[in-house]
Amino acid sequence: MTKIVLAIHRPTVVAISGSSNKTFIRDEIRKILEIQGKTVRANPKNFNTEIGLPLAILNIPSGYNSYRAWLPIIGKAFWAIFQKNFPEFLVLELGVSQKGDMRYLLSIIKPKISIICEINQRYIESFSGMDNLFLEYQYLARQTLQSGALILNYDNARVRNLSKKSRAQVEYFGKTKKTGIFQIEKIEKQENGQKFWLRHENEIQEFFTPRFGEHNIYAVTAGKVFEYILNFTKYEIS
Amino acid sequence: MFERTKDLRLSVIKQMELRASKFPDVISLAQGVPSFDTPSGIKRRIELALQKGVVSKYSLSPGLLELRELIEVKLAEDNMFYDFEKEIIVTAGSIEGITATLFAITNSGDEIIIPEPTYTSYREVITLCGCVPIFVGLNEEKGWSFELEKFEKAITPKTKAIFYCNPNNPTGTIYSREQLLGLAELAKKHNLFLISDEVYKDFTFARKEKIFSLAEIPELRKRVIRLFSFSKSYAMTGYRVGYLHCDESVTQEILKVHDSLVTCAPVISQYGAMGALEMAQKDVIFFNDEYLKRRDLICARLDKLKNIFSYVRPESAYYVFPKIIKKDFDFSSIEAPESFSFKFAFWLLEKAQVAVVPGVAFGPSGEDHIRLSFGRTEADINRAFDRMEKIFK
Repeated sequence: MTKIVLAIHRPTVVAISGSSNKTFIRDEIRKILEIQGKTVRANPKNFNTEIGLPLAILNIPSGYNSYRAWLPIIGKAFWAIFQKNFPEFLVLELGVSQKGDMRYLLSIIKPKISIICEINQRYIESFSGMDNLFLEYQYLARQTLQSGALILNYDNARVRNLSKKSRAQVEYFGKTKKTGIFQIEKIEKQENGQKFWLRHENEIQEFFTPRFGEHNIYAVTAGKVFEYILNFTKYEIS
Repeated sequence: MFERTKDLRLSVIKQMELRASKFPDVISLAQGVPSFDTPSGIKRRIELALQKGVVSKYSLSPGLLELRELIEVKLAEDNMFYDFEKEIIVTAGSIEGITATLFAITNSGDEIIIPEPTYTSYREVITLCGCVPIFVGLNEEKGWSFELEKFEKAITPKTKAIFYCNPNNPTGTIYSREQLLGLAELAKKHNLFLISDEVYKDFTFARKEKIFSLAEIPELRKRVIRLFSFSKSYAMTGYRVGYLHCDESVTQEILKVHDSLVTCAPVISQYGAMGALEMAQKDVIFFNDEYLKRRDLICARLDKLKNIFSYVRPESAYYVFPKIIKKDFDFSSIEAPESFSFKFAFWLLEKAQVAVVPGVAFGPSGEDHIRLSFGRTEADINRAFDRMEKIFK
């Protein structure tokens, strides 16, 4: 059903995956698109797996563990084919908790842009090692449309290596000093948020976020790369 | 021997429950426990975690990363910006968070100001930490509000913090933004911490807007330690899980105590808390609607006993704190401590088999009052009041 809906409406899919920081990046991307006047649908955090993702795409709730609640949802899923005003962009967190999850999720969606921030030990329980977990994300890198882009955190060696399997344009961000990447030069914690400086192609810009923690700087930076790829006008973060 | 515990006392609420359990047909409006079961989505989340085998090991001391990430997102929705990696700690219920906080920020002999009447266990925790609770009475005539000049008078060089519960237990009242900002000014002037226990913040009967928290103000982030528990909002009292947040300069010190006390919050309960934040927002709205109905019911029943009680209408939580205005009861057969509210509570239990909490348990200003919980079902509330009406005739 979800595949039919996607085939009819053809939204641009932005996939956000990795072991952590998905939610903050998803919110950043959604904000950017909304500021640009685009219509967007994003999945709630817990709607990022094999059941949740199709529901989020169709914009219908979960019945959780109530059989009675699922009956009307199945009906709603059918009517979702005829949804009017289907959004131009789907910003989707993709969660991976066991082997084959990514393959299943990508049998439903074809991401135009994929963003991966971290690959670490989180959710490792169901995998027989980091290499197997890495294969899940590698599959996403490979399946990202050739006409699209892959946005990767250069600081994480495993994430950085995902570029090898991608046919899409690859852009990096991170704190590592490296020519060509969107480089976070300096972070300054203030009473009301964080100020940081971003260097790209010899140009340095200053940004501010009211949120705290380095992960939020990375999320905003991933958003900057996303804007660059889509050639959106630069905007100020309030 | 027992130097540290000699001044501690068992919670009066639990004492009342224990006493009430000896009466076979008792109706308890004493303990602040929701009548609802934990929402099914939360249970399902726990079942899945059990099946995956991820609950048997310790989590990181500040809690599961996924849960803290969810908490950061939830806080941001409420205009509070805290870093999940360094500024949020998942605790074993709010009382453990309070204990860890007090141990971290105080030295023995420090004074902690508590507006009262308020939650009974604050006094015990403060005493346990070797500090001195300084009670400052709330103004019942003005809807149990702060009188800032009384707070200022209570501040001494030994004062370390002002510790309040908002919405307040047992009065069910909410401190206004102006009052809280006034308290913040005092805290800045005298360099004090503000400990804000907001476990009832999801229940607002007026539904005008969200309950304001001083933790929303960036310039106060090093001063305000805010606590929340999943117990009340999500009917999870038995899970013992909550969280606290503040600037990292403070939370990193609290974390050391938290780690010494419990290592980490129960991991199975942390998965429950994740289920709560992910899936149970509709349940919170349902609970709020039910408590609103029960609030209206209990107030209507109290209105019928105008010659016995007067009360301030609660705006939140699930408690009402009526004043006993009739004084000429015959307590001669009752063995109770020398306190009118204690005697009244024991008498009510004997005569009507209705358990309530004597108001003095919540501080000196609580004397002459009782706390009634409408966390119980409508049927229980009605049965309790039917019995009370009979004995007051």
